[in-house]
Amino acid sequence: MTNNPIIRVEDISFSYKVNQDQQIPVLKNVSLDVYPGEYLAIIGHNGSGKSTLSKHLNGILTPSEGGVYVNGIDTRDRMRLHEVRSKVGMVFQHPDNQIVATIVEDDVAFGLENIGVAPQEMKERIDASLAVVGMSEFRHRPPHHLSGGQKQRIAIAGILAMRPQCVVLDEATSMLDSYGRQEILTVIRKLHEEGMTIVTVTHHMSEVTQADRVVVMEAGQIVLQGTPREVFSHQARLQELHLDVPDASRIAAYVHAQCASFSVDLIENDEVVEEVNRHSIPQAEASGT
Amino acid sequence: MSAEFELSRNITIGQYLPTESVVHRLDPRFKLAAFVILILAIAICNTYVGNLFALVICISMFAVAKIPLHYGISGIKPAIPFIIILATLQLLFYGEIANGGTVYVQYGFITISSESIRLVLVSAMRFVEVIFLSSVLTLSTSTTELTHGMERLLGPLHKVKFPVHAFALIITIAIRFVPTFAMEMEKMMKAQASRGADFGTGEWWRIIRRTKDMLPIIIPLFNVALARAEDLILAMEARCYTPGASRTQYTHYKAQGKDYVALLTSIVISVIMLVIPW
Repeated sequence: MTNNPIIRVEDISFSYKVNQDQQIPVLKNVSLDVYPGEYLAIIGHNGSGKSTLSKHLNGILTPSEGGVYVNGIDTRDRMRLHEVRSKVGMVFQHPDNQIVATIVEDDVAFGLENIGVAPQEMKERIDASLAVVGMSEFRHRPPHHLSGGQKQRIAIAGILAMRPQCVVLDEATSMLDSYGRQEILTVIRKLHEEGMTIVTVTHHMSEVTQADRVVVMEAGQIVLQGTPREVFSHQARLQELHLDVPDASRIAAYVHAQCASFSVDLIENDEVVEEVNRHSIPQAEASGT
Repeated sequence: MSAEFELSRNITIGQYLPTESVVHRLDPRFKLAAFVILILAIAICNTYVGNLFALVICISMFAVAKIPLHYGISGIKPAIPFIIILATLQLLFYGEIANGGTVYVQYGFITISSESIRLVLVSAMRFVEVIFLSSVLTLSTSTTELTHGMERLLGPLHKVKFPVHAFALIITIAIRFVPTFAMEMEKMMKAQASRGADFGTGEWWRIIRRTKDMLPIIIPLFNVALARAEDLILAMEARCYTPGASRTQYTHYKAQGKDYVALLTSIVISVIMLVIPW
Protein backbone atom coordinates (compact mmCIF):
# COMPACT_ATOMS: atom_id res chain seq x y z
CA MET A 1 0.00 0.00 0.00
CA THR A 2 2.13 2.83 -1.26
CA ASN A 3 -0.88 5.05 -1.97
CA ASN A 4 -1.93 7.78 0.34
CA PRO A 5 -4.83 6.72 2.54
CA ILE A 6 -8.33 8.04 1.70
CA ILE A 7 -9.18 8.25 5.35
CA ARG A 8 -6.66 8.86 8.09
CA VAL A 9 -7.82 8.35 11.65
CA GLU A 10 -5.14 9.84 13.88
CA ASP A 11 -5.13 8.92 17.52
CA ILE A 12 -8.77 9.78 18.17
CA SER A 13 -10.65 9.58 21.43
CA PHE A 14 -14.36 10.11 21.80
CA SER A 15 -16.72 10.14 24.74
CA TYR A 16 -20.44 10.61 25.05
CA LYS A 17 -21.51 13.26 27.50
CA VAL A 18 -24.07 11.91 29.92
CA ASN A 19 -24.33 15.13 31.85
CA GLN A 20 -22.04 17.98 32.78
CA ASP A 21 -19.48 16.10 34.84
CA GLN A 22 -19.97 12.54 33.63
CA GLN A 23 -18.63 11.23 30.35
CA ILE A 24 -18.60 7.73 28.94
CA PRO A 25 -15.46 7.10 26.91
CA VAL A 26 -16.21 5.12 23.77
CA LEU A 27 -13.02 5.38 21.74
CA LYS A 28 -9.53 5.58 23.21
CA ASN A 29 -6.55 6.54 21.07
CA VAL A 30 -7.65 4.80 17.89
CA SER A 31 -5.52 5.16 14.78
CA LEU A 32 -6.50 3.67 11.45
CA ASP A 33 -5.74 4.30 7.80
CA VAL A 34 -8.10 3.31 5.01
CA TYR A 35 -6.40 2.92 1.63
CA PRO A 36 -7.98 3.32 -1.81
CA GLY A 37 -9.50 0.12 -3.16
CA GLU A 38 -9.29 -1.62 0.16
CA TYR A 39 -12.00 -3.84 1.67
CA LEU A 40 -11.82 -3.31 5.40
CA ALA A 41 -13.97 -5.05 7.99
CA ILE A 42 -14.39 -3.73 11.51
CA ILE A 43 -15.63 -6.29 14.02
CA GLY A 44 -16.27 -6.27 17.74
CA HIS A 45 -19.12 -7.15 20.06
CA ASN A 46 -21.85 -4.71 21.08
CA GLY A 47 -20.45 -1.65 22.81
CA SER A 48 -16.92 -2.16 21.54
CA GLY A 49 -17.03 1.21 19.77
CA LYS A 50 -17.04 -0.12 16.22
CA SER A 51 -20.15 1.80 15.15
CA THR A 52 -18.91 4.95 16.84
CA LEU A 53 -15.63 4.63 14.93
CA SER A 54 -17.47 4.21 11.64
CA LYS A 55 -19.56 7.34 12.32
CA HIS A 56 -16.30 9.29 12.57
CA LEU A 57 -15.32 8.36 9.04
CA ASN A 58 -17.61 10.93 7.39
CA GLY A 59 -17.96 13.49 10.11
CA ILE A 60 -21.29 12.42 11.62
CA LEU A 61 -19.36 12.36 14.86
CA THR A 62 -16.20 14.33 15.40
CA PRO A 63 -13.49 13.17 17.79
CA SER A 64 -12.96 14.75 21.19
CA GLU A 65 -9.21 14.38 20.68
CA GLY A 66 -7.12 13.59 17.65
CA GLY A 67 -8.39 14.05 14.10
CA VAL A 68 -10.01 12.31 11.16
CA TYR A 69 -8.89 13.36 7.67
CA VAL A 70 -10.68 12.45 4.45
CA ASN A 71 -8.43 13.21 1.49
CA GLY A 72 -6.60 15.50 3.90
CA ILE A 73 -9.75 17.40 4.91
CA ASP A 74 -10.40 17.57 8.63
CA THR A 75 -13.92 16.27 9.35
CA ARG A 76 -14.32 19.08 11.89
CA ASP A 77 -14.13 21.64 9.10
CA ARG A 78 -17.83 22.41 8.77
CA MET A 79 -17.30 24.42 5.61
CA ARG A 80 -16.01 21.36 3.77
CA LEU A 81 -18.34 18.80 5.30
CA HIS A 82 -20.17 18.32 2.00
CA GLU A 83 -16.91 17.37 0.33
CA VAL A 84 -16.18 14.83 3.07
CA ARG A 85 -19.64 13.32 2.99
CA SER A 86 -19.85 13.05 -0.76
CA LYS A 87 -16.49 11.22 -0.75
CA VAL A 88 -17.35 8.87 2.08
CA GLY A 89 -20.91 7.57 1.82
CA MET A 90 -22.61 5.73 4.62
CA VAL A 91 -25.27 3.00 4.69
CA PHE A 92 -26.97 2.44 8.03
CA GLN A 93 -28.41 -0.50 9.87
CA HIS A 94 -32.13 -0.04 9.52
CA PRO A 95 -33.42 -0.32 5.95
CA ASP A 96 -36.61 1.61 6.70
CA ASN A 97 -35.06 4.56 8.47
CA GLN A 98 -32.85 5.89 5.71
CA ILE A 99 -35.29 6.21 2.84
CA VAL A 100 -36.60 9.76 2.56
CA ALA A 101 -38.82 9.83 -0.49
CA THR A 102 -42.04 8.14 -1.56
CA ILE A 103 -40.61 6.89 -4.86
CA VAL A 104 -37.36 4.95 -5.33
CA GLU A 105 -35.77 7.25 -7.89
CA ASP A 106 -36.61 10.35 -5.83
CA ASP A 107 -34.80 8.80 -2.91
CA VAL A 108 -31.70 8.12 -4.97
CA ALA A 109 -31.91 11.74 -6.15
CA PHE A 110 -32.06 13.11 -2.60
CA GLY A 111 -28.30 13.21 -2.02
CA LEU A 112 -27.70 14.63 -5.49
CA GLU A 113 -30.20 17.42 -4.89
CA ASN A 114 -28.39 18.23 -1.66
CA ILE A 115 -25.01 18.62 -3.33
CA GLY A 116 -26.50 20.61 -6.20
CA VAL A 117 -26.01 18.30 -9.17
CA ALA A 118 -27.62 19.57 -12.38
CA PRO A 119 -30.89 17.77 -13.29
CA GLN A 120 -29.65 16.31 -16.60
CA GLU A 121 -26.60 14.80 -14.96
CA MET A 122 -28.73 13.54 -12.08
CA LYS A 123 -30.70 11.30 -14.40
CA GLU A 124 -27.53 9.64 -15.75
CA ARG A 125 -26.15 9.10 -12.28
CA ILE A 126 -29.41 7.66 -10.97
CA ASP A 127 -29.68 5.29 -13.94
CA ALA A 128 -26.10 4.13 -13.43
CA SER A 129 -26.28 3.59 -9.70
CA LEU A 130 -29.63 1.79 -9.83
CA ALA A 131 -28.14 -0.49 -12.48
CA VAL A 132 -25.14 -1.29 -10.26
CA VAL A 133 -27.35 -2.49 -7.42
CA GLY A 134 -29.73 -4.22 -9.85
CA MET A 135 -32.80 -2.16 -8.94
CA SER A 136 -33.45 -0.37 -12.24
CA GLU A 137 -36.89 -1.88 -12.78
CA PHE A 138 -38.05 -0.66 -9.36
CA ARG A 139 -37.33 2.99 -9.95
CA HIS A 140 -40.95 4.15 -9.98
CA ARG A 141 -42.06 1.97 -7.06
CA PRO A 142 -42.88 3.23 -3.58
CA PRO A 143 -40.23 1.88 -1.18
CA HIS A 144 -42.62 0.27 1.31
CA HIS A 145 -43.38 -2.55 -1.10
CA LEU A 146 -39.72 -3.59 -1.26
CA SER A 147 -37.97 -6.23 0.84
CA GLY A 148 -35.32 -5.31 3.39
CA GLY A 149 -32.51 -6.32 1.06
CA GLN A 150 -34.00 -4.27 -1.76
CA LYS A 151 -34.34 -1.23 0.51
CA GLN A 152 -30.70 -1.51 1.50
CA ARG A 153 -29.76 -1.75 -2.18
CA ILE A 154 -31.69 1.49 -2.75
CA ALA A 155 -29.78 3.07 0.14
CA ILE A 156 -26.51 1.94 -1.46
CA ALA A 157 -27.63 3.33 -4.83
CA GLY A 158 -28.39 6.66 -3.15
CA ILE A 159 -24.82 6.74 -1.89
CA LEU A 160 -23.25 5.55 -5.16
CA ALA A 161 -25.02 8.27 -7.13
CA MET A 162 -22.99 10.80 -5.18
CA ARG A 163 -19.85 9.17 -6.62
CA PRO A 164 -18.03 8.49 -3.38
CA GLN A 165 -14.53 7.05 -3.11
CA CYS A 166 -15.46 4.99 -0.11
CA VAL A 167 -18.66 3.33 1.11
CA VAL A 168 -19.05 2.69 4.83
CA LEU A 169 -21.64 0.07 5.78
CA ASP A 170 -22.58 0.40 9.43
CA GLU A 171 -24.08 -3.04 10.22
CA ALA A 172 -26.02 -2.70 7.01
CA THR A 173 -26.89 -6.40 6.91
CA SER A 174 -27.81 -6.99 10.54
CA MET A 175 -31.56 -6.38 10.08
CA LEU A 176 -31.79 -8.56 6.98
CA ASP A 177 -32.64 -12.22 6.52
CA SER A 178 -29.97 -14.45 5.05
CA TYR A 179 -31.28 -13.94 1.53
CA GLY A 180 -31.17 -10.16 1.88
CA ARG A 181 -27.68 -10.39 3.35
CA GLN A 182 -26.48 -12.36 0.33
CA GLU A 183 -27.96 -9.69 -1.98
CA ILE A 184 -26.00 -6.98 -0.20
CA LEU A 185 -22.77 -9.01 -0.04
CA THR A 186 -22.98 -9.61 -3.77
CA VAL A 187 -23.35 -5.88 -4.39
CA ILE A 188 -20.44 -5.10 -2.06
CA ARG A 189 -18.19 -7.65 -3.73
CA LYS A 190 -19.04 -6.22 -7.14
CA LEU A 191 -18.29 -2.67 -5.98
CA HIS A 192 -15.01 -3.80 -4.49
CA GLU A 193 -14.01 -5.51 -7.72
CA GLU A 194 -14.70 -2.26 -9.55
CA GLY A 195 -12.24 -0.52 -7.26
CA MET A 196 -14.50 1.02 -4.61
CA THR A 197 -13.08 1.30 -1.11
CA ILE A 198 -15.34 -0.57 1.31
CA VAL A 199 -15.47 -0.29 5.08
CA THR A 200 -17.95 -2.66 6.65
CA VAL A 201 -18.88 -2.80 10.31
CA THR A 202 -20.36 -6.15 11.20
CA HIS A 203 -20.62 -8.99 13.62
CA HIS A 204 -21.33 -11.63 10.99
CA MET A 205 -18.11 -13.53 10.54
CA SER A 206 -19.09 -14.82 7.11
CA GLU A 207 -18.91 -11.22 5.88
CA VAL A 208 -15.45 -10.78 7.31
CA THR A 209 -13.77 -13.56 5.37
CA GLN A 210 -14.12 -11.72 2.06
CA ALA A 211 -12.39 -8.58 3.37
CA ASP A 212 -8.76 -7.65 2.68
CA ARG A 213 -8.13 -6.52 6.21
CA VAL A 214 -9.90 -7.05 9.51
CA VAL A 215 -9.80 -4.72 12.50
CA VAL A 216 -11.02 -6.09 15.82
CA MET A 217 -12.31 -3.57 18.35
CA GLU A 218 -12.67 -4.07 22.09
CA ALA A 219 -13.50 -1.45 24.73
CA GLY A 220 -12.85 1.42 22.34
CA GLN A 221 -9.49 0.22 21.12
CA ILE A 222 -8.14 -1.77 18.21
CA VAL A 223 -6.90 -5.04 19.68
CA LEU A 224 -6.18 -7.15 16.61
CA GLN A 225 -5.54 -6.31 12.99
CA GLY A 226 -4.55 -8.20 9.87
CA THR A 227 -5.85 -10.33 7.02
CA PRO A 228 -8.88 -12.49 7.90
CA ARG A 229 -6.58 -15.53 8.04
CA GLU A 230 -4.22 -13.88 10.50
CA VAL A 231 -7.04 -12.61 12.69
CA PHE A 232 -8.92 -15.90 12.81
CA SER A 233 -5.75 -17.74 13.77
CA HIS A 234 -6.04 -16.04 17.17
CA GLN A 235 -9.01 -18.17 18.14
CA ALA A 236 -8.45 -18.09 21.87
CA ARG A 237 -8.14 -14.30 21.87
CA LEU A 238 -11.32 -13.92 19.80
CA GLN A 239 -13.23 -16.17 22.16
CA GLU A 240 -12.04 -14.04 25.04
CA LEU A 241 -13.58 -11.08 23.23
CA HIS A 242 -16.85 -13.01 22.78
CA LEU A 243 -16.45 -13.08 19.03
CA ASP A 244 -17.24 -16.04 16.86
CA VAL A 245 -14.87 -17.40 14.33
CA PRO A 246 -16.20 -18.74 11.00
CA ASP A 247 -17.40 -22.36 11.21
CA ALA A 248 -14.57 -23.41 8.93
CA SER A 249 -11.94 -22.05 11.33
CA ARG A 250 -13.58 -23.73 14.30
CA ILE A 251 -13.74 -27.09 12.58
CA ALA A 252 -10.16 -26.78 11.38
CA ALA A 253 -8.95 -25.97 14.88
CA TYR A 254 -10.90 -28.87 16.36
CA VAL A 255 -9.51 -31.37 13.86
CA HIS A 256 -6.05 -29.88 14.23
CA ALA A 257 -6.16 -30.58 17.95
CA GLN A 258 -6.81 -34.28 17.20
CA CYS A 259 -4.59 -34.60 14.16
CA ALA A 260 -1.63 -32.25 14.07
CA SER A 261 -1.07 -32.45 10.33
CA PHE A 262 -4.52 -30.95 9.60
CA SER A 263 -3.99 -27.32 8.66
CA VAL A 264 -5.40 -24.83 11.15
CA ASP A 265 -5.58 -21.54 9.26
CA LEU A 266 -8.68 -22.23 7.17
CA ILE A 267 -11.46 -19.67 6.89
CA GLU A 268 -13.61 -20.80 3.96
CA ASN A 269 -15.80 -23.91 3.85
CA ASP A 270 -14.22 -25.04 0.56
CA GLU A 271 -10.80 -25.02 2.14
CA VAL A 272 -11.94 -27.44 4.84
CA VAL A 273 -13.34 -29.82 2.23
CA GLU A 274 -10.06 -29.66 0.34
CA GLU A 275 -8.04 -30.28 3.45
CA VAL A 276 -10.23 -33.26 4.37
CA ASN A 277 -9.73 -34.69 0.88
CA ARG A 278 -6.00 -34.18 1.13
CA HIS A 279 -5.98 -36.18 4.32
CA SER A 280 -8.45 -38.90 3.50
CA ILE A 281 -6.99 -40.00 0.16
CA PRO A 282 -3.55 -41.15 1.37
CA GLN A 283 -5.21 -42.80 4.38
CA ALA A 284 -7.65 -44.68 2.15
CA GLU A 285 -4.73 -45.90 0.10
CA ALA A 286 -2.89 -46.89 3.26
CA SER A 287 -5.82 -48.94 4.57
CA GLY A 288 -6.27 -50.55 1.15
CA THR A 289 -2.73 -52.01 1.13
CA MET B 1 -61.07 -10.91 14.01
CA SER B 2 -57.98 -11.15 11.89
CA ALA B 3 -59.03 -8.17 9.81
CA GLU B 4 -58.80 -5.98 12.90
CA PHE B 5 -55.03 -6.14 12.84
CA GLU B 6 -54.54 -5.71 9.13
CA LEU B 7 -53.96 -2.00 9.27
CA SER B 8 -51.45 -1.63 6.49
CA ARG B 9 -53.92 -3.04 3.96
CA ASN B 10 -56.48 -0.30 4.52
CA ILE B 11 -54.31 2.74 4.02
CA THR B 12 -56.06 5.13 1.70
CA ILE B 13 -53.47 7.91 1.56
CA GLY B 14 -52.25 8.03 -1.97
CA GLN B 15 -55.23 6.16 -3.40
CA TYR B 16 -53.81 6.74 -6.84
CA LEU B 17 -55.78 5.03 -9.59
CA PRO B 18 -53.64 4.88 -12.73
CA THR B 19 -56.01 5.09 -15.70
CA GLU B 20 -53.65 7.17 -17.85
CA SER B 21 -56.32 9.74 -18.65
CA VAL B 22 -55.72 13.34 -19.69
CA VAL B 23 -56.35 14.43 -16.11
CA HIS B 24 -53.66 12.02 -14.90
CA ARG B 25 -51.13 13.40 -17.34
CA LEU B 26 -51.67 17.05 -16.42
CA ASP B 27 -48.77 18.95 -14.93
CA PRO B 28 -49.38 18.67 -11.16
CA ARG B 29 -48.68 22.38 -10.66
CA PHE B 30 -51.47 23.33 -13.04
CA LYS B 31 -53.76 20.64 -11.73
CA LEU B 32 -53.33 21.91 -8.18
CA ALA B 33 -53.82 25.52 -9.22
CA ALA B 34 -57.00 24.64 -11.12
CA PHE B 35 -58.19 22.68 -8.09
CA VAL B 36 -57.63 25.63 -5.77
CA ILE B 37 -59.47 28.00 -8.13
CA LEU B 38 -62.49 25.67 -8.33
CA ILE B 39 -62.56 25.18 -4.55
CA LEU B 40 -62.55 28.96 -4.09
CA ALA B 41 -65.38 29.38 -6.59
CA ILE B 42 -67.40 26.69 -4.80
CA ALA B 43 -66.81 28.43 -1.48
CA ILE B 44 -68.04 31.77 -2.83
CA CYS B 45 -70.91 30.66 -5.06
CA ASN B 46 -74.22 30.49 -3.16
CA THR B 47 -76.82 30.06 -5.90
CA TYR B 48 -78.78 26.92 -6.73
CA VAL B 49 -78.02 26.92 -10.42
CA GLY B 50 -74.37 27.79 -9.90
CA ASN B 51 -73.95 24.86 -7.54
CA LEU B 52 -75.93 22.50 -9.75
CA PHE B 53 -73.65 23.52 -12.58
CA ALA B 54 -70.59 22.83 -10.38
CA LEU B 55 -72.03 19.46 -9.40
CA VAL B 56 -72.47 18.50 -13.05
CA ILE B 57 -68.90 19.62 -13.79
CA CYS B 58 -67.55 17.58 -10.85
CA ILE B 59 -69.38 14.45 -11.96
CA SER B 60 -68.31 14.84 -15.56
CA MET B 61 -64.74 15.19 -14.31
CA PHE B 62 -64.88 11.58 -13.17
CA ALA B 63 -65.72 10.61 -16.74
CA VAL B 64 -62.86 12.71 -18.15
CA ALA B 65 -60.43 11.16 -15.67
CA LYS B 66 -61.82 7.68 -16.46
CA ILE B 67 -62.45 7.05 -12.78
CA PRO B 68 -65.60 5.13 -11.77
CA LEU B 69 -68.02 7.43 -9.94
CA HIS B 70 -68.39 5.03 -7.00
CA TYR B 71 -64.94 6.09 -5.80
CA GLY B 72 -66.33 9.57 -5.25
CA ILE B 73 -69.57 8.31 -3.71
CA SER B 74 -67.69 6.12 -1.24
CA GLY B 75 -65.90 9.30 -0.20
CA ILE B 76 -69.24 10.95 0.60
CA LYS B 77 -70.60 8.12 2.75
CA PRO B 78 -68.51 8.85 5.86
CA ALA B 79 -69.37 12.55 5.49
CA ILE B 80 -73.16 12.04 5.49
CA PRO B 81 -73.58 12.34 9.30
CA PHE B 82 -71.68 15.62 9.25
CA ILE B 83 -73.72 16.92 6.36
CA ILE B 84 -76.95 16.04 8.18
CA ILE B 85 -75.83 17.57 11.49
CA LEU B 86 -74.66 20.71 9.72
CA ALA B 87 -77.88 20.96 7.74
CA THR B 88 -80.01 20.58 10.88
CA LEU B 89 -78.06 23.19 12.77
CA GLN B 90 -78.22 25.61 9.86
CA LEU B 91 -81.94 25.03 9.43
CA LEU B 92 -82.66 25.65 13.11
CA PHE B 93 -80.33 28.49 13.96
CA TYR B 94 -79.51 30.37 10.75
CA GLY B 95 -82.97 31.73 10.01
CA GLU B 96 -82.14 35.01 11.76
CA ILE B 97 -78.87 35.51 9.97
CA ALA B 98 -79.92 34.41 6.51
CA ASN B 99 -82.92 36.68 6.57
CA GLY B 100 -84.81 37.75 3.55
CA GLY B 101 -86.93 35.72 1.21
CA THR B 102 -90.28 34.28 2.16
CA VAL B 103 -90.69 33.13 5.74
CA TYR B 104 -92.33 29.70 5.94
CA VAL B 105 -92.16 28.86 9.63
CA GLN B 106 -91.74 31.16 12.58
CA TYR B 107 -91.69 29.46 15.98
CA GLY B 108 -89.79 31.02 18.90
CA PHE B 109 -86.19 31.46 17.87
CA ILE B 110 -86.63 29.14 14.89
CA THR B 111 -87.12 30.88 11.59
CA ILE B 112 -87.27 28.89 8.38
CA SER B 113 -87.27 31.02 5.29
CA SER B 114 -86.52 30.43 1.63
CA GLU B 115 -83.10 31.98 2.27
CA SER B 116 -82.20 29.63 5.11
CA ILE B 117 -83.37 26.62 3.09
CA ARG B 118 -81.14 27.79 0.28
CA LEU B 119 -78.24 28.06 2.67
CA VAL B 120 -78.81 24.49 3.86
CA LEU B 121 -79.10 23.02 0.39
CA VAL B 122 -76.20 24.99 -0.99
CA SER B 123 -73.87 23.93 1.85
CA ALA B 124 -74.81 20.29 1.37
CA MET B 125 -74.06 20.61 -2.33
CA ARG B 126 -70.77 22.32 -1.60
CA PHE B 127 -69.78 19.41 0.62
CA VAL B 128 -70.45 16.92 -2.12
CA GLU B 129 -68.67 19.04 -4.74
CA VAL B 130 -65.55 19.46 -2.61
CA ILE B 131 -65.41 15.72 -1.87
CA PHE B 132 -65.84 14.88 -5.55
CA LEU B 133 -63.21 17.35 -6.61
CA SER B 134 -60.61 16.24 -4.10
CA SER B 135 -61.34 12.60 -4.93
CA VAL B 136 -60.59 13.29 -8.58
CA LEU B 137 -57.42 15.12 -7.58
CA THR B 138 -56.05 12.43 -5.26
CA LEU B 139 -57.16 9.56 -7.49
CA SER B 140 -55.48 11.04 -10.54
CA THR B 141 -52.30 12.38 -8.91
CA SER B 142 -49.69 10.36 -7.05
CA THR B 143 -48.61 11.68 -3.65
CA THR B 144 -45.18 12.36 -5.07
CA GLU B 145 -46.64 14.54 -7.81
CA LEU B 146 -48.85 16.29 -5.28
CA THR B 147 -45.92 17.23 -3.04
CA HIS B 148 -43.82 18.24 -6.05
CA GLY B 149 -46.66 20.36 -7.39
CA MET B 150 -47.23 21.98 -4.04
CA GLU B 151 -43.54 22.71 -3.57
CA ARG B 152 -43.37 24.42 -6.96
CA LEU B 153 -46.58 26.39 -6.43
CA LEU B 154 -45.41 27.61 -3.04
CA GLY B 155 -41.98 28.37 -4.53
CA PRO B 156 -42.49 32.16 -4.69
CA LEU B 157 -43.07 32.19 -0.91
CA HIS B 158 -39.37 31.41 -0.57
CA LYS B 159 -38.80 35.13 -1.12
CA VAL B 160 -40.64 35.97 2.10
CA LYS B 161 -38.47 33.44 3.98
CA PHE B 162 -41.11 30.72 4.05
CA PRO B 163 -39.20 27.38 4.19
CA VAL B 164 -40.91 25.91 1.13
CA HIS B 165 -38.55 23.02 0.63
CA ALA B 166 -38.51 22.00 4.29
CA PHE B 167 -42.31 22.12 4.26
CA ALA B 168 -42.51 19.86 1.22
CA LEU B 169 -39.93 17.51 2.72
CA ILE B 170 -41.92 17.23 5.94
CA ILE B 171 -45.00 16.22 3.98
CA THR B 172 -43.05 13.76 1.85
CA ILE B 173 -41.50 12.10 4.89
CA ALA B 174 -44.85 12.00 6.67
CA ILE B 175 -46.43 10.21 3.72
CA ARG B 176 -43.40 7.98 3.34
CA PHE B 177 -43.70 6.78 6.93
CA VAL B 178 -47.46 6.18 7.05
CA PRO B 179 -47.19 2.55 5.86
CA THR B 180 -44.15 1.99 8.07
CA PHE B 181 -45.97 3.11 11.19
CA ALA B 182 -49.11 1.22 10.22
CA MET B 183 -47.03 -1.93 10.07
CA GLU B 184 -45.36 -1.04 13.35
CA MET B 185 -48.75 -0.51 14.98
CA GLU B 186 -50.01 -3.80 13.62
CA LYS B 187 -47.03 -5.55 15.20
CA MET B 188 -47.66 -3.85 18.54
CA MET B 189 -51.37 -4.67 18.55
CA LYS B 190 -50.55 -8.30 17.88
CA ALA B 191 -47.89 -8.29 20.60
CA GLN B 192 -50.26 -6.72 23.13
CA ALA B 193 -53.20 -8.90 22.10
CA SER B 194 -51.08 -12.03 22.48
CA ARG B 195 -50.47 -10.94 26.06
CA GLY B 196 -54.17 -10.59 26.76
CA ALA B 197 -54.96 -6.97 25.91
CA ASP B 198 -58.28 -6.53 24.14
CA PHE B 199 -58.88 -3.94 21.49
CA GLY B 200 -62.20 -2.98 20.06
CA THR B 201 -64.27 -5.26 22.30
CA GLY B 202 -65.84 -2.30 24.12
CA GLU B 203 -69.02 -0.89 22.57
CA TRP B 204 -68.42 1.98 20.19
CA TRP B 205 -70.15 4.55 22.38
CA ARG B 206 -67.82 3.90 25.33
CA ILE B 207 -65.37 6.37 23.95
CA ILE B 208 -63.24 6.75 27.07
CA ARG B 209 -62.72 3.03 27.47
CA ARG B 210 -61.85 2.61 23.81
CA THR B 211 -59.40 5.48 24.00
CA LYS B 212 -57.80 3.94 27.09
CA ASP B 213 -57.48 0.67 25.20
CA MET B 214 -55.30 2.40 22.65
CA LEU B 215 -52.81 3.82 25.18
CA PRO B 216 -50.55 0.73 25.36
CA ILE B 217 -50.15 1.11 21.59
CA ILE B 218 -49.84 4.84 21.22
CA ILE B 219 -47.05 5.31 23.74
CA PRO B 220 -44.68 2.69 22.29
CA LEU B 221 -45.57 3.97 18.83
CA PHE B 222 -44.34 7.43 19.76
CA ASN B 223 -41.21 5.88 21.19
CA VAL B 224 -40.50 4.03 18.00
CA ALA B 225 -41.26 7.11 15.91
CA LEU B 226 -38.70 9.16 17.80
CA ALA B 227 -36.04 6.47 17.44
CA ARG B 228 -36.74 6.26 13.72
CA ALA B 229 -36.57 10.02 13.40
CA GLU B 230 -33.11 10.06 14.94
CA ASP B 231 -31.90 7.41 12.51
CA LEU B 232 -33.43 9.31 9.64
CA ILE B 233 -31.64 12.51 10.66
CA LEU B 234 -28.30 10.69 10.59
CA ALA B 235 -29.01 9.16 7.21
CA MET B 236 -30.08 12.53 5.78
CA GLU B 237 -27.02 14.28 7.17
CA ALA B 238 -24.78 11.56 5.79
CA ARG B 239 -26.23 12.41 2.39
CA CYS B 240 -25.27 16.06 2.76
CA TYR B 241 -28.67 17.43 3.73
CA THR B 242 -28.34 20.93 5.14
CA PRO B 243 -31.56 22.61 6.24
CA GLY B 244 -32.16 25.80 4.32
CA ALA B 245 -29.29 25.27 1.90
CA SER B 246 -29.91 25.76 -1.80
CA ARG B 247 -30.39 22.54 -3.69
CA THR B 248 -31.25 21.38 -7.18
CA GLN B 249 -34.37 19.46 -8.11
CA TYR B 250 -34.51 16.16 -9.94
CA THR B 251 -38.06 16.27 -11.25
CA HIS B 252 -38.79 18.99 -13.74
CA TYR B 253 -42.20 19.82 -15.03
CA LYS B 254 -42.74 21.47 -18.33
CA ALA B 255 -46.14 22.98 -18.96
CA GLN B 256 -47.81 21.95 -22.22
CA GLY B 257 -50.82 23.23 -24.11
CA LYS B 258 -53.24 20.94 -22.28
CA ASP B 259 -52.08 22.31 -18.93
CA TYR B 260 -52.93 25.88 -19.90
CA VAL B 261 -56.25 24.68 -21.31
CA ALA B 262 -57.07 22.98 -18.01
CA LEU B 263 -56.23 26.07 -16.01
CA LEU B 264 -58.22 28.29 -18.35
CA THR B 265 -61.18 25.91 -18.22
CA SER B 266 -61.21 26.02 -14.44
CA ILE B 267 -61.24 29.82 -14.54
CA VAL B 268 -64.09 29.87 -17.07
CA ILE B 269 -66.11 27.41 -14.97
CA SER B 270 -65.53 29.54 -11.87
CA VAL B 271 -66.63 32.71 -13.62
CA ILE B 272 -69.79 31.03 -14.92
CA MET B 273 -70.58 29.75 -11.42
CA LEU B 274 -70.18 33.20 -9.94
CA VAL B 275 -72.13 35.19 -12.55
CA ILE B 276 -75.21 32.93 -12.63
CA PRO B 277 -77.68 35.04 -10.66
CA TRP B 278 -80.14 32.39 -9.45
